[in-house]
Amino acid sequence: MNKQNFERDLQRRITELQKDRQPQRDLWPGIEYALNRQQEEVPLRSGKPFLGLAAAVAVIGFVGWLSFSPSPVGQGDPSLVAALSQQHQQQKQALLASFADQPALTQNWQEQLDELDGAAEAIKQALEEDPNNLALLKMLQQVYQQQIDLIEKVHAPKWQQI
Amino acid sequence: MVHGLCYRLTGGDRALAEDATQEVFIQLWRKIGNYRGDSKFSTWLHSVSSNVCVSYIRKQRGWWQRMFNIEDSAAMQETAEGSTGEVDIEAYVQRLPERARMVFVLHAIEGYRHEEIAEMMDMAVGSSKAQFHRAKQLMQEWMGYE
Repeated sequence: MNKQNFERDLQRRITELQKDRQPQRDLWPGIEYALNRQQEEVPLRSGKPFLGLAAAVAVIGFVGWLSFSPSPVGQGDPSLVAALSQQHQQQKQALLASFADQPALTQNWQEQLDELDGAAEAIKQALEEDPNNLALLKMLQQVYQQQIDLIEKVHAPKWQQI
Repeated sequence: MVHGLCYRLTGGDRALAEDATQEVFIQLWRKIGNYRGDSKFSTWLHSVSSNVCVSYIRKQRGWWQRMFNIEDSAAMQETAEGSTGEVDIEAYVQRLPERARMVFVLHAIEGYRHEEIAEMMDMAVGSSKAQFHRAKQLMQEWMGYE
């Protein structure tokens, strides 16, 4: 009888437990420092630091939102993802066409663009499983914006780089 | 979610929990390319977080601390009652010996099976079950059900 009461009491307390807990200090500076330091170890000629920092900011924002927020709520609609993707593709193609005659400042920007495409596909797959996840939608938007920023940055005229 | 998990696994060691939380986010960034979409993203995220947190904590604890965790933890201190007259279960969890606490948190609170816990903590499945039983026995005694 005592054991049954204990089990019931224990289960009740576990159910009532607040699973979320905030750290007492801001942890982001340390995380950002570690990620930036990791990117600095990659040779500059590969061009990866730009991609890494931009993608790191996106992931940090996403993971941070997931960890420090209550259960995600969203305006889930698969057609929203499709519309977002289509709009982005149109914008990207138009931008690439406008820079067609302009040489890029780095050689591997296409590779970076492909990596961001991969990240977008992973997020879209996750959205198929969890279409109401607003955090994933925001992250998809951020990845798309990173692609636009990348295209603009590598095609910016030299005088803008000073 | 992540910090709460690290806080409980460390037995309320605030500094270690915060360091472990940072390590989880750093490793999540490194492993994000491993997500294949065969489970919910949040499930994958939780699994990676738990694994990284457990590994980090085990690396930080010296064998000396692990051996004498009972004396080192709050086990010798009284657990204060809250305003409702009931002791917060967090306080009981923090009092548990390290391995029993980690198994209890992972199984009873986070919902992992003993097979998964055994792999995470590099122990036999039977050991995981034994540690869980030990944790419950201690809590039953502290909660006054003996």
